Amino acid sequence: MSAATPPSGELACDVLVIGAGPAGHKAAIQAAKAGRSVLLVDRDPAAGGECVQRGTIPSKTLRESASYLVGLRARSEGAFALELPSDVKVAGLMRRLRSVRASHASTLDGQLERNGVQRLRGRARFLSPEVVEVRAPDRSVRRIRAGRIVIATGSRPRQPEHVPVDHEHVLDSDSILSLIYLPESLTVLGAGVIACEFASIFAALGVRVTLVDAGARPLAFLDAELTGIFLASFERLGGRFLAQRKVAAVRREGAAVVTECTGGELLRAEKLLCALGRVANVQDLGLEAAGIALTPRGHVLVDANLRTVVPHIYAAGDVVGPPALAATAIDQGRRAARHALGLPPDGAGEHVPVGIYTLPEIASVGLTEAQASERFGAAVTGRARFDELARAHINGQTDGLLRLVAAPDGRVVGAQVVGEGAIELVHVAQIALAGGLTLEAFVDNVFNFPTLAEGYRVAALDAAAKLAAAGRRAA
Amino acid sequence: MEPSPPTRARLPDELHALLAPLLEAELDLPVLPDATARLLALCQDEAADARRVEAALERDPSLAGHILRVANSAAHAPREPIVSLQQAVGRLGLAALRGIVIGAALEQRVFRVPGHEPRVRAIWRHCAVAAAFAREIARKLRRNVEAAFLCGLLHDVGRPIVLQALLATPAARRSPPEAELLEAAMDQFHATVAARLVRAWKLAEWTSVVVAHHHEPERAEPYEEQAHVTLVADHLAHWAVDEASSPAEFACPAASLDALNLYPEDVDELLAARARALEFAEVFR
Repeated sequence: MSAATPPSGELACDVLVIGAGPAGHKAAIQAAKAGRSVLLVDRDPAAGGECVQRGTIPSKTLRESASYLVGLRARSEGAFALELPSDVKVAGLMRRLRSVRASHASTLDGQLERNGVQRLRGRARFLSPEVVEVRAPDRSVRRIRAGRIVIATGSRPRQPEHVPVDHEHVLDSDSILSLIYLPESLTVLGAGVIACEFASIFAALGVRVTLVDAGARPLAFLDAELTGIFLASFERLGGRFLAQRKVAAVRREGAAVVTECTGGELLRAEKLLCALGRVANVQDLGLEAAGIALTPRGHVLVDANLRTVVPHIYAAGDVVGPPALAATAIDQGRRAARHALGLPPDGAGEHVPVGIYTLPEIASVGLTEAQASERFGAAVTGRARFDELARAHINGQTDGLLRLVAAPDGRVVGAQVVGEGAIELVHVAQIALAGGLTLEAFVDNVFNFPTLAEGYRVAALDAAAKLAAAGRRAA
Repeated sequence: MEPSPPTRARLPDELHALLAPLLEAELDLPVLPDATARLLALCQDEAADARRVEAALERDPSLAGHILRVANSAAHAPREPIVSLQQAVGRLGLAALRGIVIGAALEQRVFRVPGHEPRVRAIWRHCAVAAAFAREIARKLRRNVEAAFLCGLLHDVGRPIVLQALLATPAARRSPPEAELLEAAMDQFHATVAARLVRAWKLAEWTSVVVAHHHEPERAEPYEEQAHVTLVADHLAHWAVDEASSPAEFACPAASLDALNLYPEDVDELLAARARALEFAEVFR
């Protein structure tokens, strides 16, 4: 199935997807699986978008080095002297990045090819609601006419006016990955996912990290119990969190980067990472020619079905705003394509997990106890502290907590995990949610021993006991 | 008299055979007296802004290399290797830096190539322009600019060493080589010699890899991207210093532009930085 070329010289297709990151890639494959002709346009030669080239995969590869370092230190209990030379190039900690990228890109390319998705490299710009112009690196120009269009152009780091990002002393989440040496100290502005991920990674690598934010605690969208564990671990790594600091200015003073807070407090560090959010990549799309509206924060305005104000144009992924996570983008891409093509919702995205690659990791799926109580009238949370698990002691990493949330009828409706392996562990709960399992499933089944997954059984027993107690009180 | 793009003319085999062993000998980089004096003046001033010191260092690849080499020497015994100018200024401080600069001033073996001073100045100027463009490219790519700048600054430091070695041969003393032959010799050996110098200075391994392969970035694994940046910066610098050249005349290997995912409009923006890059290098005029 190939995109047709009408006499006018325009290419025509059923579905045009702009951007080949997680959202665009998934949208293209979903549309192709529905039997439509699909053209996927991206400015990069390789599929994967920022996720593969700059963001998720590079930072997670770096994180893995930091994680190994922390894990080995903990497991060896001082038997090995583990210090990184300070001239280590950050890229040197990501030597596997090349093979990781190549392998992942090959997988993505294979999926597109198998599904018959046509690809075109270039920068896209709307000429009208139905026609998009694509300018290739060789200056050639193609016009595409499409019945349905999905915008999935992703995002880039935001550069606030008062933070002069020069990619030399003041970095963003892209340029920090190409540092040529580990700084002695690092100020991180922000306390969202990216800020906390980099703050904990660099703290683990031995850098003195100061996390600065206007809020009262980092990762404020999580509850205090989870962020408390993250914060305690971050501080044990040598990091410090300065809450409720508004940054008035950032400037260089000699070799230092000075952060001036509104109260006059001055923070000095060798480097500064600005992680104050991301902005949508919409500036070159010519959205005005298509009549597409933006939110006040500059994201593409979409409804619950990811449809823009122009009925045949959809948007998915970072370009529509938070949470700007790869898993969410994949889900949005699929949902956008299905709705655009009039396909019924498949329900697969009902339980999309959230993974935060801090040290330690944080992951969640489904509802928290508060959300479950609101929905079901009541709910209980079973807890398993990692220091109750033999595996965590063997690993030497006992900072952690697994929470299992159950509805009054015992159905598992949510889970939150913080600690080593959290991002993998949460998938057990995800499948339990998808399968409508109850706490009994975790109580009755025997898990491998010793494993961190045993935490599910411990948490399920705790939750079951709470439900039983609640039942007795009600009786 | 600007350095030409590489491999313009072929070096005769006999000259190649003569030069190759000479360039195996111990190498050192000369220090420009003007820059040394300027930096010394800055370092004498306790109130001097570190940025001005960095700026002075950035404008002089010869002195910058010397500072890094000396800063890493046993005499100064750094706690850890110093790999960038910013790091040198930040970690050593002005006092230690002043000592290094004074030492350089006292010990400098001024690079003397009678009759070829303009050629040497042109090389330094080209390096500075390339470094300025490398920084622009890195910023456009949202990559750390320190690595790009350093590689741009150092990529051609082998050229004057090759020139010096060639002109020191008895044959050259008897019969001064033609300009084309000089360029051919520099083209042939400069990258290898520059890499040897960088290794001798004990700079980070990636720096020598990039410098060694900046004309063949695909061989710079795993630092191809940095080598592509250096190559594009090199070509931008060659274009920029030829003041008669128009943007349409800029030529660069498409493979490098492609590898860096630089679109025509990106290149146009880089070309528009010509005045800024030339201004940066003005000190070498």
